[in-house]
Amino acid sequence: MDSKRPRGLPRRRLGPQHADPGLQPERTVMSWGRTGLATSVVALLLIRWYPSVGPVVFVPVAVAIVGAGLIQVSQRRRYRVQAAGIHYEKVVADFRAVVWMTVMAVSIAGLGVIGVWVF
Amino acid sequence: MQPVEDQSVSPARRRKGLPRSLQEGQDPDPRFTLANERTFLAWIRTSLALLAGGIAVEAFTQDIFDETARKVLGTTLLVLGGILAASAAGRWLRVEAAMRQKRSLPIPLWVPLIALVCAVAAATVLIAIWVTNGF
Repeated sequence: MDSKRPRGLPRRRLGPQHADPGLQPERTVMSWGRTGLATSVVALLLIRWYPSVGPVVFVPVAVAIVGAGLIQVSQRRRYRVQAAGIHYEKVVADFRAVVWMTVMAVSIAGLGVIGVWVF
Repeated sequence: MQPVEDQSVSPARRRKGLPRSLQEGQDPDPRFTLANERTFLAWIRTSLALLAGGIAVEAFTQDIFDETARKVLGTTLLVLGGILAASAAGRWLRVEAAMRQKRSLPIPLWVPLIALVCAVAAATVLIAIWVTNGF
């Protein structure tokens, strides 16, 4: 492994090859993909509240859809960063993604409780 | 003479928007960082499953439960899902910080609590179904 190039990471355009037999970048990216799909399921289930709650239900639905969409849109970049990170032996912990994912789940929970009791 | 490696954060290495605990200490093996991220995601999916359960109770059980039972059960699941998501983020941060400091990893103390609440909720549903519909 060469140990240059941490900082901003990716360089090569054609998906950097990494030598990780544990396939960490794949597994992590797919884990995000599953989380995105689970988020879409939550969004679709929420639409079932429409008859009792009315159009307000689309607020948490939109939160979930946007969250799921952002995950899918950032997947290629995520793979590139993580594969390069394995190659250079340095991955910066993805603090922002963790925070936003948490904010999304907690706000769906909060909006859901409001939906149950107020509407 | 080998120069002593400075382990504190030099201003040049500072990253904007990262909490201090993710900058102190030494970078762990990137594989561990990714494993920690996947563990966080597994907890988040558990949280999403609880949210989906809460939403489903409110959406599909109009004929089974009376209004109060439905609302209480739905709220329990939603709140539990929210707490789980928040604790997952806290744990992710603590594990990452522990790895940077080469400390042993923290134990997830909320796991027994979540198991207990889930078990109580499941038992309540079972009893509620028996009471309203007979055996």
